[in-house]
Amino acid sequence: MFNEKIIDPAELRHWGGKIELYWIYTSGEAGDRFFKALKDEDKFIAAKCKKCGKVFFPPRMYCEFDFSETEYVEVSGEGCVRAFTVAKLDKNEKPLEKPEIYAIIDIDGTDGCMIHLLREVEPEEVQIGMKVKPVLKDKAEREGKITDILYFKPS
Amino acid sequence: MRVAVVGVGYSGFNANTPDLNWKEITLEAAARAYDDAGINPRKDVDSIVTCAEDIWEGFAIFDEFVPDQLGGVLKPTCTVCADFLFGIATAYMQIKSELADIAVVEAHSKASDILTFGETIKFAMDPIWLREIGSAHPYYFAALEMSQYINECCITEEQIAEVVVKNKNNALKNSSAPYGSKVTVEDVLNSPMVFDPMRKIEIAPRADGAIVFVLANEDVAKDLTDTPIWVKGVGWWSETSNYDTMSFNAVYAYKAAKMAYKLAGITNPAKEVDIAEVDDRFAFKEFQHLEALQLSKRFETGTLMREGYFAKDGELPVNLSGGSLGIGNLLEATGGQKALEVVLQLRGLAGRRQVEAETGVAQAWRYIPTASGAVAVFGV
Repeated sequence: MFNEKIIDPAELRHWGGKIELYWIYTSGEAGDRFFKALKDEDKFIAAKCKKCGKVFFPPRMYCEFDFSETEYVEVSGEGCVRAFTVAKLDKNEKPLEKPEIYAIIDIDGTDGCMIHLLREVEPEEVQIGMKVKPVLKDKAEREGKITDILYFKPS
Repeated sequence: MRVAVVGVGYSGFNANTPDLNWKEITLEAAARAYDDAGINPRKDVDSIVTCAEDIWEGFAIFDEFVPDQLGGVLKPTCTVCADFLFGIATAYMQIKSELADIAVVEAHSKASDILTFGETIKFAMDPIWLREIGSAHPYYFAALEMSQYINECCITEEQIAEVVVKNKNNALKNSSAPYGSKVTVEDVLNSPMVFDPMRKIEIAPRADGAIVFVLANEDVAKDLTDTPIWVKGVGWWSETSNYDTMSFNAVYAYKAAKMAYKLAGITNPAKEVDIAEVDDRFAFKEFQHLEALQLSKRFETGTLMREGYFAKDGELPVNLSGGSLGIGNLLEATGGQKALEVVLQLRGLAGRRQVEAETGVAQAWRYIPTASGAVAVFGV
């Protein structure tokens, strides 16, 4: 089966293929509430399990531990940094123009967290446990998406 | 009725493979595995399990592309959308249930065909809550987990560097490991800090290759070979797809290992396991996975690593093959490479990296952005 192979690299062929695909992504019942409250009222919505009391953030319709219903509660959206990284490479592994600080932010009054960017702080100043608060886009520019939160900054 | 590995074959591993397409590297691995097992796939194989994810392949409904290169046309085939070790679990169950006497497991990586690796991983990230955040490579997701882990466990950068040093030096003894290198802790600490606290050299680069295993029931295994390697236990586990409820602490590996150890009758893994191949696609993951597999205790792994406990001549050699840091990221074939090394070691066919071992564990994670994984325990 393997008696002969191509040994001349000049004979080797490949082609670059690409295909354009488009989707819409449905925010869903819980996501819709979250993004509407954020967009129109500058508010942050979490979801509390009616059975175990665990507060999910981001919110969702159901408790994944009890498989039971949740109810929506308002939270501040502020929190503290649990973990962070200073990212220097873009999606193609080329240097980013400016490093981006990503963080896992434990959100106050919830059992959940948000993964988002930190700005208005130098990388060497970021500390685990640091209190941070969200900075939103101008109201007129909000789209009802996660990027309506521009970043978090020290509070 | 026990289940045994009666044949293994692999192709690679290489940084790229311009002369063969993914089906042809699979064919190479399959032909070698069938020769090793002494079987004719057209006649003897009852079932074929492939492990693949459409996203890595560049086309959809992967399972329709399966049978021919494995000699499996007009045979029962199924694709597990996961790592090779999940395929071992599936084949194990098919044989245990007597649906098959001989089942084949395959996984491959043609990572060099993926021109937009970062975007491909981003496609797997939650589109509502995560995908649109920032513009960095999704490696950041692993770096966040590393930040949490090293902070909780007080791990130093020198201790993480020891993993890279061990695995890349082990890889020099493996002629199938393209990223072997005589690096020192100092070399690692000079590697660029690309996702602080993670350095470039701590991220496994990509590699191509394919692995095929032939599994059989006890009677068939004893007819085929004098050196069957028994599949003693399998386990798999998923935490959640939501980052806010993920442990970022490899609970998936802890639970998968518990499942596999239970089946294997192992009550004290640190004493009963002789060798382990664990997922080290980011260097810190080796620490986390060793603890999850109960091969080391939290807060002790850094010291043990430093003392050479997990080195080739240590108490419990880990990633003798060179691991993913020495071989490369083989995508869904990662667990296949780990299982392959365990089987070669147990058979005494590991060449210059051979150690004495009777029980070995292979473990793989489903990579960023998941909290899922599988474990298999093999023994002589």
